[in-house]
Amino acid sequence: MAARRVPLVLLACGSFNPITNQHMRLFELARDHMHSTGQYQVVGGIVSPVSDSYGKQGLVLAKHRVAMAELALQSSNWVTVDEWESQQPDWTETVVTMRYHYRRILKEYERSVGMHNNSNLSPQLKLLCGADFLDTFKIPGLWRDDHVEELVGHFGLVCVSRGELQPERAVHESDLLSYRRHNIFHVREWVKNETSATEVRRALRRGLSVKYLLPDSVIEYIHQHNLYTEDSEMRNKSAVLRPLVKQAQEP
Amino acid sequence: MEGHSITKVVLLACGSFNPITNMHMRMFELARDHLEDTGQYKVVRGIISPVGDAYKKKGLIEACHRLEMTRLATESSDWVMVDSWESLQPEWVETAKVVRHHYEELLASEQNIDDVDTIKYAKKRRIEENHHKDRDDLQLMLLCGADVLESFGIPNMWKQEDIAEIVGRHGLVCITRSNSDPHKFIHQSDLLWKYRKNIHIVREWVTNDISATHVRRSLRRGQSVRYLLADSVIHYIKEHGLYSSESEQKNADVVLAPLQRYTGASSS
Repeated sequence: MAARRVPLVLLACGSFNPITNQHMRLFELARDHMHSTGQYQVVGGIVSPVSDSYGKQGLVLAKHRVAMAELALQSSNWVTVDEWESQQPDWTETVVTMRYHYRRILKEYERSVGMHNNSNLSPQLKLLCGADFLDTFKIPGLWRDDHVEELVGHFGLVCVSRGELQPERAVHESDLLSYRRHNIFHVREWVKNETSATEVRRALRRGLSVKYLLPDSVIEYIHQHNLYTEDSEMRNKSAVLRPLVKQAQEP
Repeated sequence: MEGHSITKVVLLACGSFNPITNMHMRMFELARDHLEDTGQYKVVRGIISPVGDAYKKKGLIEACHRLEMTRLATESSDWVMVDSWESLQPEWVETAKVVRHHYEELLASEQNIDDVDTIKYAKKRRIEENHHKDRDDLQLMLLCGADVLESFGIPNMWKQEDIAEIVGRHGLVCITRSNSDPHKFIHQSDLLWKYRKNIHIVREWVTNDISATHVRRSLRRGQSVRYLLADSVIHYIKEHGLYSSESEQKNADVVLAPLQRYTGASSS
């Protein structure tokens, strides 16, 4: 008798400025990994672009970032883009976004399997991220402690790294993360792929080709709307990242 | 008529393409950007020439499949195309011969376009320098990774005169990563150093290390290779059940064609 698997949805939060093949690879790698543990069945993936009020330098309008993600994910049968986070009036803490999606997933799940069927395992939502994400927990003022605890303790992380040991080290060096290490899944990507949105924007500014780094449809969209120029990169240049401001104000 | 004239360039990539990946396609894009950035070149075409089955590399699947996958991968490109000549030859063909073949074809097609033009500067120079049929305004360059450049140093892999022909008469565009040092390699070879002006090193600042070996490994293990190769190529692979443990064992006990051909021959 096959062991029952926990239905799992992966949520990736980020700028997606723009979305690249590497972002989409994260989902593929994470799904393969979680399946191979024997405990999970990945049933969905969500790309949640951050709102404009995040204030990151070079961030183009959310409506473009969402549109590009939609184009990129057209050919995917399990990952979709969600614009709830991008439409909130203020920047939304990752944990709040996760709570929103988890409630939604749970409701949908209960509706589809029926309330009488108790034998099914409840679905889970985990945050999908790259290795550098774990290091951001160290940045003062960027994360609330109780949020980190909820994120890692209650939800869980699926962290994709490029073959280096940095993520394990980041966990080791943090008491909180160490305590919750059973809920942090490390996925190693053996293909060294440094394609980043930052590099893509750089190439675009310089009129260089980005073909095969992102889907053709996204490249076309970028050219059509003339996104990613020297000017766009200067946006929010002297602004402070919204989380730092918002969380500094809290008691 | 002032200033320099722009040389038209055709890039030729030889290799197994077993299977073709996004990294292979990126090489063309990077090479074109680099050459055109110098202001001296205009890259007009890219040619992918998959090696014939007689190369006998371990894990090399049939040329007909590799050709079709390459064709699918190049469908979305308006300047890079696949060519089957090399793969259709009964024996393994030295890269220099492939270069020669494509260069002749190029000249022949240009000749048809480029009719009678007695005052053309290039034609005058042709006659003067006795470069039979060669043109200054049109070049074929071999596009490759740093590993190919470094393979020039592997005993019995290349004939010296072939290397000389490729870098001397044509040109080499070599895509390299931060961990290799092609300049040093060129410096340490008298032959390469002599033709260093024809060797263009393109630094890939953003490492994109999608090796076909890794792709085949992932496929064997049932892991996703989505976004590493074109969707149409992945679909083709699944449809035809390519790349299994069996296919990876092909030619496992056979010697690579160039090594077979040159080993034992007197050193050139």
